Amino acid sequence: MSNLAILPIIIPLLAGILLAFFPKKLPLVRGLAKLTTILNLAVVTYIFAFVKQNGTLILETGAWKAPFGIIIVADLLAVTLVLTTNIIAVAAAFYAPKSLTDQQETFYFYSFFFLLISGVSGAFLTGDLFNLFVFFEVLLMASYALIVLGGGKAQLRESIKYLLLNLFSSMLFVTAVSFVYSVVGTVNMAQIAERVKDVDQQGILTTVAVLLFFVFATKAAVFPLYYWLPNSYSVPNPVVSALFGALLTKVGIYSILRVFTLIFTHDQGLTHNLFLWLAGLTMIFGVIGALSTNNVKLIIAYNIIPAVGFMLMGIGVFTETSLSGTVYYLVHDMVIKGALFLLIGALVHLAGTSDLRKMGGLIHHYPLLGWLFFLASLVLAGIPPFSGFIGKLLLLQGSLAKEEISIVIVALLSSLLILFSMIRIFIGAFWGEKVEGLPVDKRAARAFTGPIAGLLALSVILGVGAEWFYPAIQSIGEYLMAPELYIDSVLKE
Amino acid sequence: MEIIMSIVAGLLFATGVYNLLQKQLLRIAIGTALISHGAHLFILTMGGLKGGAPPILVEGVEHYTDPLPQALILTSIVISFGVTSFLLVLAYRASEANGTDNIEQLRGNDYE
Amino acid sequence: MLFAVLLPFIASIFIPFLAKMKNRIHTGIFVTLIPFIVFLYFIQFIGGGFKPVTRSYTWIPSLNMNMNFYLDGLSLLFVLLISGIGTLVAFYSIYYLHKSEQLGNFYVYFLIFMGSMLGVVLSDNVFVLYTFWEFTSLSSFLLIGYWNHRRGSRYGALKSMLITVFGGLSMLGSLVFMSVITNTTSIQQMISQKSIILNHEFFPLIFGLLLLGAFTKSAQFPFHIWLPDAMEAPTPVSAYLHSATMVKAGIYLVARYIPIFAESEWFFIVVSGFGIFTLMWASYMAVRQTDLKGILAFSTISQLGMIMAMLGFGTKAAIFGAVFHILNHATFKGSLFMVAGIVDHETGSRDIRKLGGLMTFMPITATLAVLATFSMAGFPLPFLNGFYSKEMFFGSTLEFEATNNALASFLQQVLPYLAVFGSIFTFVYSMYFFFGTFRGKANVSELPKKPHEAPVGMLISPAVLVLGVIIIGIFPELINKPFLSHAAASIYGGEVEKHIYFWHGINLPLIMSMAVLAFGTILALTRTKWEPVYRFIPGPLSMNKVYDGLVKRAETYSEKITKGYMNGSLGRYFRLILSAILIVTFSFMIITGGFSFSMENTAEFTAIELLVAIMMVVASIGTIVANNRIAAIIILGVVGYGLSILFVIYRAPDLALTQLIVETVTVALFLMAFNHLPKLEVRQQDWSTKALNLIISIGFGALMTLVAISSHSSKWFESISTYFIENSYKLGGGDNIVNVILVDMRGLDTLFEITVLGIAALGIYGMIKLRKNKKGDV
Repeated sequence: MSNLAILPIIIPLLAGILLAFFPKKLPLVRGLAKLTTILNLAVVTYIFAFVKQNGTLILETGAWKAPFGIIIVADLLAVTLVLTTNIIAVAAAFYAPKSLTDQQETFYFYSFFFLLISGVSGAFLTGDLFNLFVFFEVLLMASYALIVLGGGKAQLRESIKYLLLNLFSSMLFVTAVSFVYSVVGTVNMAQIAERVKDVDQQGILTTVAVLLFFVFATKAAVFPLYYWLPNSYSVPNPVVSALFGALLTKVGIYSILRVFTLIFTHDQGLTHNLFLWLAGLTMIFGVIGALSTNNVKLIIAYNIIPAVGFMLMGIGVFTETSLSGTVYYLVHDMVIKGALFLLIGALVHLAGTSDLRKMGGLIHHYPLLGWLFFLASLVLAGIPPFSGFIGKLLLLQGSLAKEEISIVIVALLSSLLILFSMIRIFIGAFWGEKVEGLPVDKRAARAFTGPIAGLLALSVILGVGAEWFYPAIQSIGEYLMAPELYIDSVLKE
Repeated sequence: MEIIMSIVAGLLFATGVYNLLQKQLLRIAIGTALISHGAHLFILTMGGLKGGAPPILVEGVEHYTDPLPQALILTSIVISFGVTSFLLVLAYRASEANGTDNIEQLRGNDYE
Repeated sequence: MLFAVLLPFIASIFIPFLAKMKNRIHTGIFVTLIPFIVFLYFIQFIGGGFKPVTRSYTWIPSLNMNMNFYLDGLSLLFVLLISGIGTLVAFYSIYYLHKSEQLGNFYVYFLIFMGSMLGVVLSDNVFVLYTFWEFTSLSSFLLIGYWNHRRGSRYGALKSMLITVFGGLSMLGSLVFMSVITNTTSIQQMISQKSIILNHEFFPLIFGLLLLGAFTKSAQFPFHIWLPDAMEAPTPVSAYLHSATMVKAGIYLVARYIPIFAESEWFFIVVSGFGIFTLMWASYMAVRQTDLKGILAFSTISQLGMIMAMLGFGTKAAIFGAVFHILNHATFKGSLFMVAGIVDHETGSRDIRKLGGLMTFMPITATLAVLATFSMAGFPLPFLNGFYSKEMFFGSTLEFEATNNALASFLQQVLPYLAVFGSIFTFVYSMYFFFGTFRGKANVSELPKKPHEAPVGMLISPAVLVLGVIIIGIFPELINKPFLSHAAASIYGGEVEKHIYFWHGINLPLIMSMAVLAFGTILALTRTKWEPVYRFIPGPLSMNKVYDGLVKRAETYSEKITKGYMNGSLGRYFRLILSAILIVTFSFMIITGGFSFSMENTAEFTAIELLVAIMMVVASIGTIVANNRIAAIIILGVVGYGLSILFVIYRAPDLALTQLIVETVTVALFLMAFNHLPKLEVRQQDWSTKALNLIISIGFGALMTLVAISSHSSKWFESISTYFIENSYKLGGGDNIVNVILVDMRGLDTLFEITVLGIAALGIYGMIKLRKNKKGDV
């Protein structure tokens, strides 16, 4: 049974390799890609159900027992995130042919796409710190390839910055792993956690922990490390932006969540307080960024940042409720960011510009798209009863129970400004006078709508039907507060 | 020796970072290469130097150098190689397409 | 009860289909039925023996977010207002909105609003209440922006949304806080544990945030500015949302929480203080308006202020007066908005400067208007309901006794005067509204349309409301026992028995009314004489300017801030990121005492190692100073080869070999890639940047070294490598331990490291190939 756990990594890996052999046969490639995402989603759904029923799945790769071999730990948190990843993947696979040029598709878009999914799933599932680095590299390499795909001037320019910043943080990552190894003599996360507990002099551990935090924070786009994000997310094709926006920063947040609930919980007064400060600053500067431009793609890209602040806030507060909030927000944010980037891609395609000041009156041509955008704005801003609210509510409850007042006020104000930044787009692009001479392409609009509507429907269900999801997420919150559960399940005997 | 090697690796980081902060793409690329050398040296050092014989089993030898860091470095070298190659081609393409190898001139503006 | 709340939502789903056949049947006809059904459902609860009703429906029990409805006297008053006025407004809109308009959208928003508003006043669960609350703000946003091709509509919609959602979020903060400390999400249970809230150290915050929600929604000063701009909405909306119902949600919220908050001495000061000031300010400002709906908007604000002020007293009489006035205001103001809509509809203008003398053209409308305005003015006539509640207001300002708080007792003493002041202006704008529109000289030629009486259908709704004004005026006791006293009792928290009389004998409130009448008449007659006073107060000072400034600054400053650091310069990004990492990590190291140094477990050093090390360091510095690209690349190679020598020395033969090959290929690649690019230049940066770079790079190197030394000095555990050495051959079947680890124990790493190479190769191929294709194509 435990071999199941590696399927979410292996299926996309094989698909990625396979599709690299006949890139020119587009109809076949597209069909296979769609089919594989659906198949993979089915498999992951099964794994999710299995894990939810029977508890964490552990796979000791190559049959080397923990902590010596690389361990795949499919616990409920990892599986939930892998499941969400694959939902995004299906939406992206169906959106891609409409959004990409044939050329981009033949130049291995689908291979990179699947390898990205493989890397992301691997990062969620692995129980080994160095292996996490390897999966980071897989997903980063795939993202480098995706971001330059098409080779436009701006793309090349932004990808080089994106690559350099990430390359640097990767190097910092391996170095930090070696420091951890030096202190505790292992790279297995469960064993690290176990050994960290037994250490008396913890100063060096805290220092290394902070270094690791900065590595993950660079990927997660936490203040003040997110500079690479807005531009590099707004230049590639919308479907690529959607994958990035939905998945990449979330891997960073996931890593912080994992490492700072499982391993480094020994000096919360320092580390987790640092998180709260950074969370607040991330929210503030994120929303300021979102209000600073009239480029709709950039507005959406900037909106990734405050969401990261929200999730970090839950980790900083560090209670069962707040961690459940972070996880709920994580799932919500993956879905809504995917939907939003796809939406904005459609909007820019139909309006022929990304400059908000040149748009107007689109709702008269594309009412469905307009209302989907309005709905997405509400979801993003955390208006009840949609998915963003549930996560936010939990975060607020957790923070207020610990009387962390200032972060709550910052969070509430950011919600308002997020809504403002989104409604600006709604008013500017969809309301108002129509732009003269703009060709109307209702067929294209319809083609874009399917995947967007699917993801948004999920967002609505995640909110209105929270009762179906929250108990599972709540158990993740409890589980994260009890790291011995993870340790025991890996290092059983 | 570990202390000295830590300092050497630290210096590789320092010179790497200094190069990274320059404007020309070549210098920046050199900087990343230096930093990865530094990182690899750190990993090796953290495993302990000269703890014993090379980690190839030979009868009669009891002490071996820590093999795990070596395995990790090997993985990391290969990955760095992949990324560096990609970076070099990207740098070449980016400076060709934008007509400059000065990163400060690759700022871009809002509406593209 | 759930069905009654959900009915409007369910109905709204069908509206788009019904709107398709709007040319045959006006969609409003279907819509009118919905509030009417709801009204009929709730009217059954009215009666002398009314007891609060609770209904619970589970929704998200794990979050304690359930549809728990609590229908007491206060809720009942509101649901009947919502459904009753809703019916009349929907009916009125059939005549007001032409079939060529986008009726579907209008009625969907309308129904969503109605359902949400019912939800707000029925929910006992605070999160559900908040949900519905935000939906009233959103539907209001959409209704204000209904004619979104107009700039004013978009402006007003955004303004109302920003202000009300701001309040909503504040309220959410307060509600969550209260639910966390009382461990319940039910308002009634919070009330039963009020001491926890009142004695909490953050009580002022809880209280303030909740009031922000109420004050923004109910347009209290200084948040009132959204309401006048909300007049861009179609008039039925103004009558319904922005006068009779939604704006009273804030009043409702304050009333709901009176049992908790009224015990605080600040309650009176804040609530009554803001209320009375709003009353004065808005009634004063109303006289300045030229748009009929503008006058009514300010009038609404001032009346809301008056109700708020009465709630702030928290006495039996005041609460009764407040409840009574909620109802009265809905009747006369609702009908006045409809009248304004009729005037607009039949003359094409709402500008009071162009209107006048319409009485002869539209006598029925004028009759309705005169009754409603005189009721609003509080004219002492026994058939106008406005007088009664105004009299109660005066009475309650007199009988209220403040605690011994100095500020409170001062406020108490000046209150009656302020009340009279506000009421004088209320009188003035009422007269201004009526006489300016219906009396005086008619200048028909200036109006876009030739005025004539409205169709009968359009008159029915305002007529029903005016009938309400009169019936309540003549038989106030009719609604007292079965209705008002329950509402007041549920706020006050005990029996409220009050008789409503027209004539109390000659007492102070009556004298105050007479003063209002006298001064009001004088001011109304001499209005043009004293009008220039508006040039000084408010003059250039206005909350609108504050709002506009804030919104504009939000955009310009955020642009300035963001452009300030997000300038696209990679060097800048690196400098900022590295500094952040440096500062924080160093401070953490110092705070935690993380640095340690020990010479244990360290290897001996030999001359050759030292030599290689020095060579590498020199070479790495050489890459910085080299000003020839080939030289720089070769020097980089020296560092790499040095590293492989170190690998040899440190007993890592596989690494040495790999490093050697990789380094060679890398150097070759470097040469290939940079052969076509411009030559290296050395002096590109000014000295301050250079110094900064130097500090950052040395700092970073030092940081890594220090952390490394400390890590190495803190080896507390045996490494898992022991296991590898022991089992490499036994279980892995290989002598070369590193290889066994790579292909076996950590085979997954190796598999994916190859994957990385593969992606890089495909990516590089794409980067080179795709460009060639492009060139070929063009």
